Amino acid sequence: MSQKITVVLLACRQAVPDPALLAIPLEQGGLKARVIPEPCSSKVEVFQMLRTLAGEADLLWVVGCPEAACQLVEGSFRMAKRVAHAQDYLGEIGLEPQRLGMAQIPADSREALTAMVGDILERARSLGANPGRTPR
Amino acid sequence: MVKKYDRLLLAGCDTCVAECAAGGRKEVAELAAALQMAFRVAGQEKNITEATVDRQCVHEFLLDVVESAQDRDAVLSLACGAGVQALATRLPETPVFPALNTLFIGETAERGLWLENCRGCGNCMLGLTGGICPVSRCAKNLLNGPCGGARNGLCEINLAKEIIPEVPCAWLQIYDRLLALGEVDRLMEIAPPKDWSYGDASGPRRVVRPDQQA
Repeated sequence: MSQKITVVLLACRQAVPDPALLAIPLEQGGLKARVIPEPCSSKVEVFQMLRTLAGEADLLWVVGCPEAACQLVEGSFRMAKRVAHAQDYLGEIGLEPQRLGMAQIPADSREALTAMVGDILERARSLGANPGRTPR
Repeated sequence: MVKKYDRLLLAGCDTCVAECAAGGRKEVAELAAALQMAFRVAGQEKNITEATVDRQCVHEFLLDVVESAQDRDAVLSLACGAGVQALATRLPETPVFPALNTLFIGETAERGLWLENCRGCGNCMLGLTGGICPVSRCAKNLLNGPCGGARNGLCEINLAKEIIPEVPCAWLQIYDRLLALGEVDRLMEIAPPKDWSYGDASGPRRVVRPDQQA
């Protein structure tokens, strides 16, 4: 029996005030989705990203605001650096760095959210299950 | 080195290596998750646990991590070399491996930038040089400087390769500092050759303090 691809999203509350707007279209696209609200994308640490991928996620997305719109000023900038660091880690251990994605979304922008959902669905189709996560 | 062991403990240290973002609690968690995934990609499932203490180089602090290691096949320590050895001493029957390369005694100069500021030479000159160490911060370790290679306040090693941020000339920094302190006349005294026997040229070093001993 095939298992659904699981995507976890760590999403800034400013960028994504309504997590259902993300989870519903992803699940309609055939994925299992979990959206974890964050006070700011800069609060997401590298170890959280790696633990989430090792534990439950086939794909992980960190969602923040555009850098110029971040309420914590440098939050999105720092998030992008941490995501890049975690992606380097994934490459080093033989996993596709593309399993970890990021997006910078203007607050509650439906258009940007729709585009990101399309990116995630496409990435899920191309990468499939994560061989590094906890066995199902 | 650790792939033949099934039950691994990752041991962190929450003081110096945590400040260096190299071996504290967060880095232990990162490495544990990354190792777990790397082994799975290679078709192996490992039992990996984590333990972090405040100072892996001090035996009293080690008790928690020693206890956590009791059912482990091997330990991967993210402490400095001193911490790795202190832990290995307490675990005579368990292999202990270093997860880091310990580089130097440094200063956190800014977020994400650490500088070597002390070489542990055992014979400190900082009182003479305005608190700026020529042994560690001058590329030639000159005791009387600067040399002729400084350009625009920078050390000539910047010409050999791109270094960001650029390395300043330590001796020009010493001059500026002493000038600001009104003590530039100190530079009129030629520093004699240094007695390196207090440094690592003397073999394994030790400090004995009878007043601290039991």
